Amino acid sequence: MDFYYGMAQLIGVHTLLGLSAYVVLLTGQVSMAQAGFFAIGAYLAGMLTVLAGWHIVPAMLLAAVASALVATVVGFPALRVKGLMLVVATLAFGEAVRIFWFNFDYQIAKGNIQVGPLGGEGFKQIRYFPENGWSTADVAVFIWAWVIAAMIALWWMDRSRVGSVLRAVGEDELAAQSVGINLTAVKVSAMGIGGFIAGLGGAIYAHYTTHIEHLNFGVVLATFAIAYPILGGLSSVIGVLIAVIFIQGFLVEVLRFMGDWRNLLFGALIVLAMNVRPDGLFDARATRTLKRLFGRQDA
Amino acid sequence: MSDFWWQVIDSVQSVLDGMMFGSIYALIGIGFTLIFGVMHRINLAYAAASIGGAYASLAAFQLLSAPAIVVFLCAAAASGVIGYLVYICCFRFIPTEMPLATLMASVGMLILIDEVVVHATAGMPEPYPAMFDDVMIDLDPFWVRGDLLMIFALSVIAMLILLYVLYRTRLGIATRAVAQQPSAAQLCGIGQERTNAATFVITGALGGLAGAMVGASVGILSPLLALPLTVKGLIVTVIGGLGSIPGAIVAGILVGGFENVFQYFRGVTERDIYVMLLLFVFLTFRPQGLFGRISTRD
Repeated sequence: MDFYYGMAQLIGVHTLLGLSAYVVLLTGQVSMAQAGFFAIGAYLAGMLTVLAGWHIVPAMLLAAVASALVATVVGFPALRVKGLMLVVATLAFGEAVRIFWFNFDYQIAKGNIQVGPLGGEGFKQIRYFPENGWSTADVAVFIWAWVIAAMIALWWMDRSRVGSVLRAVGEDELAAQSVGINLTAVKVSAMGIGGFIAGLGGAIYAHYTTHIEHLNFGVVLATFAIAYPILGGLSSVIGVLIAVIFIQGFLVEVLRFMGDWRNLLFGALIVLAMNVRPDGLFDARATRTLKRLFGRQDA
Repeated sequence: MSDFWWQVIDSVQSVLDGMMFGSIYALIGIGFTLIFGVMHRINLAYAAASIGGAYASLAAFQLLSAPAIVVFLCAAAASGVIGYLVYICCFRFIPTEMPLATLMASVGMLILIDEVVVHATAGMPEPYPAMFDDVMIDLDPFWVRGDLLMIFALSVIAMLILLYVLYRTRLGIATRAVAQQPSAAQLCGIGQERTNAATFVITGALGGLAGAMVGASVGILSPLLALPLTVKGLIVTVIGGLGSIPGAIVAGILVGGFENVFQYFRGVTERDIYVMLLLFVFLTFRPQGLFGRISTRD
């Protein structure tokens, strides 16, 4: 059973990561910096619970706020450029964050062992959950409470005026600007919200793996972050969840019996999916069908 | 001579070495920039395809024990073929108004190429042939490594051939026409898809040569080389200015020298931070890059 709880934890954390990229992608920006915000959340939350002895919830929130602040600050210069330039700028920022943690040492003695992040060796012993007697199931429920909260918040945001504004900027910047939308404010806020969610995800990730190191937060993770919303489709938050389940559940776990060949199929299936469904697996038509089945008739 | 002067000489030496290695970054940057110029899309699989081509050429080295220069040409040819496959898989059939889908498909292709390489070699690094790697030219007080000089020379030759193709042949005129104004080019009877495919093959061959030279200068090939090469190539593209070939050349050599001097002073773990800082300086003060035009299109 623990295996399934472990799966649920992994899918939950990756869903948060995907959601953080989803918000930014709504405004038409491809941000490869999400892994960097994720890393900031992970290290800060770990340091707060391990070194400062905080409870996990305030530690997570503070780490997420810090990630959001960094994202906002990065947003201003990075959003002067767009398209390929933005991809490269955010990619470079994410890598810079990773290399920062690679060179960052801050250890204190706790009992008779040294704890804290130690450069290339990473940050070990983030043992908040085992120390406080949380079982794997408890952790899974805890993670999914955050995931569902984030999904509901984004779903509601999508249906409100804010969502329309974000999408308007994503569809056509010039048109959005000419109806009086402040492009910079919208893009920077989207970066900030994305940074907050990525920080939350990172904070949880640090605690359930108990050991983080800079290699966890490289280009590959950043690619996964944007892969989920693009593969799932930008029409609703459900797309992100479906893409995470498709990649982490189906491609990684179900195909495990294929051994080495699984990794080959992984890339090929992404290429195939984008050729067959360029709008994402869960596109606007699927959203409409879902609404017809479950929602009000006028929706 | 005093310690200070030895320091100066050593740093100049590392800048020179880095600039020669930087010609590889320049080749990769040219590839990104050309594809961007013609299609206005990023092909993230490009550096992986280059390394893939270099791996394919290992067959010529291991089975036929061909001389190094033949191996390099095989790498270019193999990478050209891979470039065409990338075009078919990621760009040909996905509608142009969906840039995110092509971006993601090229990421999928990057993973696929990497995994094919890992699968074929069981993930072990493979030795790669070099030329003149036992030659050291003594220009007192500096040394020039023979293999780096050869890399530099080959890159320059490749760039000259590319410039000839672009500016002196019908194919090159077609490519530049599509880059400038796709619909007008089509009205003149230039087949857009054929030109795009040709661009992928040409840039692929260029990348294969770059991949082979990475192998030749490092001495081994590893699938782990693909991601750092992608990142450096993209940085070079942005610093040089999107769509500008001279920009990519200058930026590649600049980044190579910059990176090596910081590796000398601050060590290999920190050097990339300074390359990123260089990029941020450019993005803040000169977002259009060295040679780019102010009005950058998406």
